[in-house]
Amino acid sequence: MITTSKQTLSRRQRWVGQMRRFLRGEGAYLAMLAPLLVFVAFIALYPLFFSFRISLFKYRLTDPNQTQTFLGLDNYSRAFADPVVLQSLRVTLTYVAGTVFFEILLGLALALLLSSEMRLMRTIRASLLIPMALPPLVVGLVWKSLYNADFGVIPFYLKEVGVNVGRGPLAELSWAMPAVILIDIWQWTPLLMVIFLAGLKSLPVEPYEAAYVDGATRWQNFLFITLPLLRPTLLVALLLRTMQSFKVFDTIYATTAGGPGSVTTVLNFHIYTVGMTFFDMGYAAALANILLVVIAILSILYIMVLERQQL
Amino acid sequence: MHKKSRFERLLLTVLVILTVFFFMAPIYWLLVTAFKYGRDAFAIPPRWLFFDFTLRNFQEVLSNTQTGRFLLNSIIVSFGATALSLLLGVPAGYAIARSGSRLLNLSSYFFLLLLMVPPVAMLIPFYLIMRDLHLLGSYISLIILDTVFDAAFVVWMMRSYFADVPKEMEEASLVDGASHFGAFWRVALPLSVPGIVAAAIYVFIFSWNDFLFALMLTSPRTKTIPLGILASFSAVGVNWGKMAAMSLFAILPALIISLFLNRYFIRGITMGATKG
Repeated sequence: MITTSKQTLSRRQRWVGQMRRFLRGEGAYLAMLAPLLVFVAFIALYPLFFSFRISLFKYRLTDPNQTQTFLGLDNYSRAFADPVVLQSLRVTLTYVAGTVFFEILLGLALALLLSSEMRLMRTIRASLLIPMALPPLVVGLVWKSLYNADFGVIPFYLKEVGVNVGRGPLAELSWAMPAVILIDIWQWTPLLMVIFLAGLKSLPVEPYEAAYVDGATRWQNFLFITLPLLRPTLLVALLLRTMQSFKVFDTIYATTAGGPGSVTTVLNFHIYTVGMTFFDMGYAAALANILLVVIAILSILYIMVLERQQL
Repeated sequence: MHKKSRFERLLLTVLVILTVFFFMAPIYWLLVTAFKYGRDAFAIPPRWLFFDFTLRNFQEVLSNTQTGRFLLNSIIVSFGATALSLLLGVPAGYAIARSGSRLLNLSSYFFLLLLMVPPVAMLIPFYLIMRDLHLLGSYISLIILDTVFDAAFVVWMMRSYFADVPKEMEEASLVDGASHFGAFWRVALPLSVPGIVAAAIYVFIFSWNDFLFALMLTSPRTKTIPLGILASFSAVGVNWGKMAAMSLFAILPALIISLFLNRYFIRGITMGATKG
């Protein structure tokens, strides 16, 4: 009896010793990472798994019996045939293309315009960062008041130069999309300026010296040296902004709520409506998962590009 | 290398002025609307400089007990999420930076991926789970959901910060018999206070600005300030002056931070695209 307990004790001691040695080495790092991994597993991975599960069911919260009928992948095939979803996908792509294109163009222009190290320029650059730190909801509300048809500043000055916007930019079918894109441009162009400034700073000087000897003009410099050398930075900026632009919600909620009609109903907003207004949880989850896959592909591309540049 | 002509310089100056005007005018407009009477706020043509100055909007906003409640809720949620994400994220970032294991090093990309998950994908399952746990409308539900994204960000940022901190002092303390935890706690952590502060600030702003999660998970009692602004809206028509005054409270942390700590802020918001 006594010998066995001694043996188990020594076995336990050996185990404790091994554990201690493990924690002295690599195990210590694992122990520091573990709490976060457990947290993420419960709070992030489990909900994502749960989301996949309910996307396979017909599950309406408005149903008094709360029945869940198994549908298999029907919610997904329904999504790809749903004209409302396809419309919101078109809206999303228009929004993403419009914002990313203009923001990259203007961001690059701003970086070139404000690249001087003068004190005044540094102050200006710092002040341009304010918009992107503001709550997007507040940004949306501010622009909503600027766009207001009755007292808004923007329709007033447009009318002064002879352009009549009727019920205001946010309420007219052909104006609403450009109007919400402009808000995005206002908030996020400075971010691209920052990225391009960092890219410009890291360019080598030798090609420019060679070009100077050859008598190149400044425009030629930009076109044949700066732009090709900036290609990696452009790629990073493109992917980062595309990902973020896909996720727009707050400003749309604050300004147009998807209207007029559905011309500004981006996919993100549509998913919210399906889930939180119609309480069609299974279908909303399926739509959200489709968006998740698109973003995940973009994210992986982004990471691969970043990784290659740091080599 | 190239001399600029006088015309070019004039053109560039005009462009800079236009740029500053475009980006600053909406913020200026919000600021002055908060200090205007209704008749000046709605005046046509718009009054940019000359109007009757008033603090009435602020009096109205502050006399409403709800506003204090919204602010308090925002503070509770933002501080809660910041504290929790630092507690979980800082040691994790350190472990990833120092470990020799390839698997651990690669896990930082997992956190970057997590950071990019569209919030709406988390929302529907999280809403249902919280409903089943009877936690809808509690601070804790909002805090832990914010923490997912906040902690992922902290890991991503602290990993690169610790990688820049020289290892020699920690190695010396290990030789002297300290454990890895000791080296982290007594050597690495004090050296990285600036990085931790930067991560904390960014994460705080992220939670403070959040609208979508709060929209889904809060009850009237736990509404945060962005929801408070919206609520003040629908009651009896739109009082833009009041809205502007409340918005000033909502943008205050962002203003302070982007003016004084923008270097750290940039590093955060570009997610590794610049070294700041």
